[in-house]
Amino acid sequence: MARIVGGLGISHTPSMGLAFDAGMKGEWEPAWKPWFDGTRPVKEWLADLAPDHIVCVYNDHLNHFTFEAYPTFAIGVADAFPQADEGWGPRPAGGPPFPPVPGDTDFAWALTEHLIRTESFDLTVCQELALDHGVYSWLPYIADAPWPAPMTPIAVNMIRHPIPTAQRLRDLGAAIRRAVENLESDARVLVIATGGMSHQISGTRFGIANEDLDRYFLANLKDNMPALVDLPQTEWMRLGGTEAAELGIWFAMRAALSDRIDEIYRYQVFPKITGCGVIAFQEPS
Amino acid sequence: MPADATPPLQSPGFDLDEPGTYLYSGRASTRGFRLNRFALSLTKPANREAFLADEAAYMAGYDLSEDETALVRARDWTGLLKAGGHLQAILKLAATLGLNLYHIGAHNTGTDADSLYAMCPRGVSATPEPE
Ligand SMILES: [Fe+2]
Repeated sequence: MARIVGGLGISHTPSMGLAFDAGMKGEWEPAWKPWFDGTRPVKEWLADLAPDHIVCVYNDHLNHFTFEAYPTFAIGVADAFPQADEGWGPRPAGGPPFPPVPGDTDFAWALTEHLIRTESFDLTVCQELALDHGVYSWLPYIADAPWPAPMTPIAVNMIRHPIPTAQRLRDLGAAIRRAVENLESDARVLVIATGGMSHQISGTRFGIANEDLDRYFLANLKDNMPALVDLPQTEWMRLGGTEAAELGIWFAMRAALSDRIDEIYRYQVFPKITGCGVIAFQEPS
Repeated sequence: MPADATPPLQSPGFDLDEPGTYLYSGRASTRGFRLNRFALSLTKPANREAFLADEAAYMAGYDLSEDETALVRARDWTGLLKAGGHLQAILKLAATLGLNLYHIGAHNTGTDADSLYAMCPRGVSATPEPE
């Protein structure tokens, strides 16, 4: 039986990726260096954990999907997931672009089969999927290319209302857990969820930064998720900015884990316009 | 900030009303459908080149209204959002023009991009009420 060995929640934002690229050339922006330093322990933990597969629940930002057809939930089933061009060209600019994130279609089809047929999660299946900063912004902070394990990305609509409810995102995580445990391999699986913490990038509330809200979220995710799930999504948006709704994605990661997890690491900082946080959980071996 | 400097913007409020917030609804998505399709076409390098070479000719291929075309020509970022442009789509237009998120935000907030950049993060504090 395959099993989930850990969970990681982490923020994403385009500038996080650009800051990394500049930093690798020795040009760290002062605002971003703490995030790099703060993610070093995560990189070490991930290397030690050495999962066989990663299931990553994320959201696209109109970089792969467009409004002709914007899925509420979608799963990537492909050998590789290249970077999406967000308008500035592939990263790092001027250097060889990051290699595509590898996929494992056998693993992804088995997961898809269980999620759709047993769990009634009617995912849109994408046999071609480019990933945007939702994945590529934080990935180089926590691993070196070539990327250490194949990934199965699950995309969630956070771009246009109606977005999925917090309860549904939590249920997705629980379904992912059962789907993994249903696999016949003995794979060790890491579940990652990513969404910006507090932020808003349009309107006169542009740049709103609520670090207390971000800390409150991280402090309660392990043992008090029901309170977070019950808070209306409009409250997260009101207090933390419209894009704070993306925190709901983190519920899928927490719900994929048991109540016996240890919190391995937590870090939070606010470099510029997106609350940046990371939290790592591990199942007892 | 020195004591005599006037903050150029009020601290962000805790409501979801315009112009503080443009909540992106299904209706906005219907209104902005063609505008977004145009803007999202600019994720392809060849399209970016074609747009920069002749904006009017490029936009003619996207079935935009006169008002929409005028908003693009005027770089009226706030007007583009009000017309149903999604920030993430309009951002591709900004990127094509060598601009970024802060130029759109500055237009929204009535300041300039450098000032807005210097002002961020715009800290506020509030956590959910305990039950
Ligand atoms: Fe995001």
